[in-house]
Amino acid sequence: MITQEQPKPVLQISRVTKTFPGSCDPAVNDFSLDVEEGEIVALLGESGCGKTTMLRMIAGFETPGSGSIRIRGRLVVGDRAFVEPERRGVGIVFQDYALFPHKTVTENICFGLFRYPHREQKAKTAEIIRLTGLAGLGKRYPHQLSGGQKQRVALARALAPEPRLILLDEPFSNLDSLKKAQMREEIASIIKKTKSTGIFVTHDTKDVLAIADKVAIMKNGIILQTGTPDKLYNYPVNQYVARFFGKTNVLHAEVTADGFQTPVGLIRANGYRLPLGQKVLLSVRPEQFEVSGCHENCLPATVTRENFLGEYKELACRIENESGKELDILVHAPPGQICDDQRCHIRHKGDVPPSVLND
Amino acid sequence: MPLHKFNFGSFRRYTGNRWVIWTIVLSLMVALPLITIAAEMFSRGDAVWHHILHELVPSYATNTLWLLFGVGMLTITLGVGAAWLVSMFQFPGRNIFRWALIMPIAIPAYINGFTWAGMLDYTSPLYTFLRNQFGIDTGTYLFFDIMSLPGAIFILSISFYPYVYLITRAYFQTQSANLFEISASLGYGPWRTFFRTALPLARPAIVAGVSLALMEVLNDYGVASYYGVDTFTTGIFTAWFAFGDTSAALKLSGYLMVFVFVLIFAERTQRGQMRYSAQGIRKHGLTPKRLSGTGGILAGIFCSLPLLAGFILPAIMLIWWSTQTFSLIVDAGFWSLLRNSFFLAGTASLVVVAAAILLAYTVRAYSGRFVKILARITTLGYAIPGAVVAVGVLIPFLWLDNRLIQLPWVNTLLITGTWLALIYAYLVRFMAVGYNSIDSGMEKIPESLDEAARSLGMTHGKVLRKVNLPLLTGATLSAFLLTFIDVLKELPLTLILRPFNFDTLAIRAFEFATDERVAEAAPYALVIVLTGMVPVLLLNKYIGGETS
Repeated sequence: MITQEQPKPVLQISRVTKTFPGSCDPAVNDFSLDVEEGEIVALLGESGCGKTTMLRMIAGFETPGSGSIRIRGRLVVGDRAFVEPERRGVGIVFQDYALFPHKTVTENICFGLFRYPHREQKAKTAEIIRLTGLAGLGKRYPHQLSGGQKQRVALARALAPEPRLILLDEPFSNLDSLKKAQMREEIASIIKKTKSTGIFVTHDTKDVLAIADKVAIMKNGIILQTGTPDKLYNYPVNQYVARFFGKTNVLHAEVTADGFQTPVGLIRANGYRLPLGQKVLLSVRPEQFEVSGCHENCLPATVTRENFLGEYKELACRIENESGKELDILVHAPPGQICDDQRCHIRHKGDVPPSVLND
Repeated sequence: MPLHKFNFGSFRRYTGNRWVIWTIVLSLMVALPLITIAAEMFSRGDAVWHHILHELVPSYATNTLWLLFGVGMLTITLGVGAAWLVSMFQFPGRNIFRWALIMPIAIPAYINGFTWAGMLDYTSPLYTFLRNQFGIDTGTYLFFDIMSLPGAIFILSISFYPYVYLITRAYFQTQSANLFEISASLGYGPWRTFFRTALPLARPAIVAGVSLALMEVLNDYGVASYYGVDTFTTGIFTAWFAFGDTSAALKLSGYLMVFVFVLIFAERTQRGQMRYSAQGIRKHGLTPKRLSGTGGILAGIFCSLPLLAGFILPAIMLIWWSTQTFSLIVDAGFWSLLRNSFFLAGTASLVVVAAAILLAYTVRAYSGRFVKILARITTLGYAIPGAVVAVGVLIPFLWLDNRLIQLPWVNTLLITGTWLALIYAYLVRFMAVGYNSIDSGMEKIPESLDEAARSLGMTHGKVLRKVNLPLLTGATLSAFLLTFIDVLKELPLTLILRPFNFDTLAIRAFEFATDERVAEAAPYALVIVLTGMVPVLLLNKYIGGETS
């Protein structure tokens, strides 16, 4: 029995698999995910990884081959049940916004409120227009709006009927990078303000890191890892996830009593419960290393490449491992730091323990 | 099948869904005449059939083949030649020819047929003029007896070459000029370029155009019957009206359908093999080369001949005759006939457009292979000659009526010989016309609009009404207009299925012409031609817009 205190997931996806006709490989494979009330969840992955298909199955535009989906505990797909999209109470914001070109902003927003009495329609529309910062644009037609405005209209339209769940398909991909950062914050705050639950699909880790409470990263239809953005960033389960969130150093290491013996020396860590002497792969982000004068646990290296990246500088430091092979380690250094003769020492900072990869 | 592989979701979407059920009903309705014909085709015939089979079918087959061959050759010559000239060269009158060359499409072939016969007839104004002024006397007919197989080929070709012209010209337009420029840079002259580069390149387009023209040839009843060329289509009428033999009419329809299917098959395989298009090459439009002097004049003459024969001369004759017989013909009866005819065409077009919207939306909303096959079947009717549709519709309806009349409260044939049967047959025949127009309109509406509306709580019906239809007004209007014209000028199907004593403009014109009263047929024909010009002029506006 479910206890009362436990928050009931708004969305429960359980073992959903979908194979398109004429294709051998499933587009979505054994996908399970719970989304809690008020969360913003990101489905992250490259194009073709099945994230949009999953989103469309939640909305009801595709039907899974097997598995089940529950929204607020109600079975919408699975076990021979199928609830039509219009009866799911799921709002959706499309990549192309899908605003009705023959209707004004107000009419677009009002479109899903047809079940309410006229007076209430007006009140709700006015409220959502205020909330989304669209005041004064109500009489315009979609073609008279900018990209960001269109997006806000699309969001307002989806939110107006107070859906249980709002889905956003690549919501920021059509915006230029300046607008993008601003819209991310805005949309996240609107979703939070309206106490909605949101799921969005993206291929951009910046979107995820900025606004998602939880991420599911997908590849070839399979969820590789689920968790908070910082968990995925710092503790990726494999190289693919590690590299998806940015550059990283993948190091061969051996488990010792104090941590891991790596080509860059001993990295101290505990609590991994791995047998001593086991060979493992570690992921260490460049910012976990620093270039320093040598105190302890440091390694002489030669800087072979420098990239100035604004807040920091990315150095490729060449070291030699025990067997004499050369290895480039990426290290972030403050932009002002200068190494004499390209010589330096690199050291693991030790504030974030390394991530053990499973491949 | 393992349970986890069974896609119960999509299964559920199909069963018990009224959109799909209506689409199934529609496709069954269209398939009914074909099923009737197929069922009858392999039955043993009676004595009448054996007479027809041995005495008449051989000449039907020869004539039909000659017509197909002759019209095929002539439409390719006229259509491709004119398309090549107006696409590649600048010569006197080119800008007018570009659009004017499709005008013959506005004149139904049977009207061209009796107009030309009347024009070359002993009493025609042209012949009278030549005889009185210049003493030219060539017997009963001016120059040659047009009421013959070659005459029929000529009439059908000048009526149907625009199909070839239109598609081929559009094809040349989309081809990269580079290809022709390369051909020139390799030392090919214009003739060599035409035969070695343009013609092979345009083959898919030419095949598509010619097969449309030949479909029309198989559909034609008016010209063949008027010119005394016995084909399968006229044979169906003979079997039906002269012998009263339904079974023979069905069997002949079956034979005719064999021709149709061979044609469809040939066109499909041609198109399947050849997907020549210069993709990936940066396209820049053709810059027409200036043709001056003799070349320009010859090009002008080549283009003006089909235009004169297929549109200008017949139109002038129709106007001339109409002024002669105006006071005689245009009375209250004329107007009431006009009203009837327009009302019938309007009703039929409304039904067709409604069905087309239903079908197009179902295909859009339930994009599965099953629904697509249904759509294919439902739009097959345009390939079925009108007489075949009529016979295939009439016979099941007669059967049904004969059952119904045995019920105590029924005392007349309920379906046969009513508008119901007629409109049903128009639906079968012209569904594709409406569907193609609606479908291309729907393709321009992003599907995310539908999905957005559904996620906002709208059912399919509401989505169609509130999102698709408001955005489809143009497509709906053109679907209505095109169907309207097709119904208005339709002859064989209407002749067979019309209610007793019910005439349309087309039938009245044809009957007057058959009674050697061509001048009296002219006002009726003129109304059809003028109405038919509306979509042609709209199409021209589109062609004009496409190049500017």
